Amino acid sequence: MRPATRRFVAFWLIVPALLGVILASALDPRALPFTGHEQLSAVFLLDGQAYFGHLEDVPWSGTITLRDVYYFEDASKVATELPIALVKRGGELHQPVDVIRIRRDKVLVVERVSLESSVGQAIAAQRSLDRVAK
Amino acid sequence: MNDAIVRIPRRTLLLALGAVAAVFLVIALVVTGVVARAADANTVASPAVLKTQQSAAERDVERAYEQAVTQVKKVRALNLAITAAQADAVAAKALNDLKLLRHSGLVSLGQVLGIAAAEVEATATATEQRFDQAPLTAQPAASPVLLAPRLYAIVARMSELATQLSDQATTDLTAPAATPAPTTAPSPSRTPTPSASPSARP
Repeated sequence: MRPATRRFVAFWLIVPALLGVILASALDPRALPFTGHEQLSAVFLLDGQAYFGHLEDVPWSGTITLRDVYYFEDASKVATELPIALVKRGGELHQPVDVIRIRRDKVLVVERVSLESSVGQAIAAQRSLDRVAK
Repeated sequence: MNDAIVRIPRRTLLLALGAVAAVFLVIALVVTGVVARAADANTVASPAVLKTQQSAAERDVERAYEQAVTQVKKVRALNLAITAAQADAVAAKALNDLKLLRHSGLVSLGQVLGIAAAEVEATATATEQRFDQAPLTAQPAASPVLLAPRLYAIVARMSELATQLSDQATTDLTAPAATPAPTTAPSPSRTPTPSASPSARP
């Protein structure tokens, strides 16, 4: 590659990409892609419903996308230690594919879920059990 | 009139087009979620977390069992309309069914948790014996654990069936005592006689 070409590629491709990465890491170091850290998000809607999963938030889209989705269910009538239970989306009567798109104007809060939290551990345990089942 | 001519070297043009194509490719990958799915890791639980989940699920199964057993025993202790023998039979059947249900629930937990098929029965029996010796009501409350959905499904089903069994036993135990069927004394004047055609009465 000629020096001029190298300079062009460095100036227009590599430098902007590095700047983007540095800016992203300034916000949240774990947000860097391909670092091995899972990024679980909680999306709270205006109606009080909450969904947990892998968030894809593209700024120019009117919706946000969640994959590998879980949500809370009332378990007050079940003999569990907590009055709520975590349910994986997909087992409903219409067996939805494991992706939901949520209108951005219906979202109240988006938060990062700690992997050490109860929700994070329950989801990790579910994945382990899914592997056992396969 | 002078026409301005901008000369762009062919190499620069190709590089610019390549850069634009690369940008579109990146945008396409981001929009379709390919990058997100490839970059995001999926954490699985450590053995310690799985053990915690197993213990919590076992406690939940036991709790459903103990609540149902308590209900059956409380109703049996009441002054019932049915005979003592009948009440004992109903209660014994309910308690036996609840024991089988608990065993089945613990076996299901073992299967979901990947315990070897040959060891599932033994593990379930050992857990039952442990809880029989030290019921949950006699133990200090453990810190609550949010169950994985697969484990919760078993606990919820176990809880539902245990409630059904104890409710059915309650219904059977509190049923009114069976009374002999009323018999009508034979009366010659009121004995109906079938007739093919209506007869005129005077």
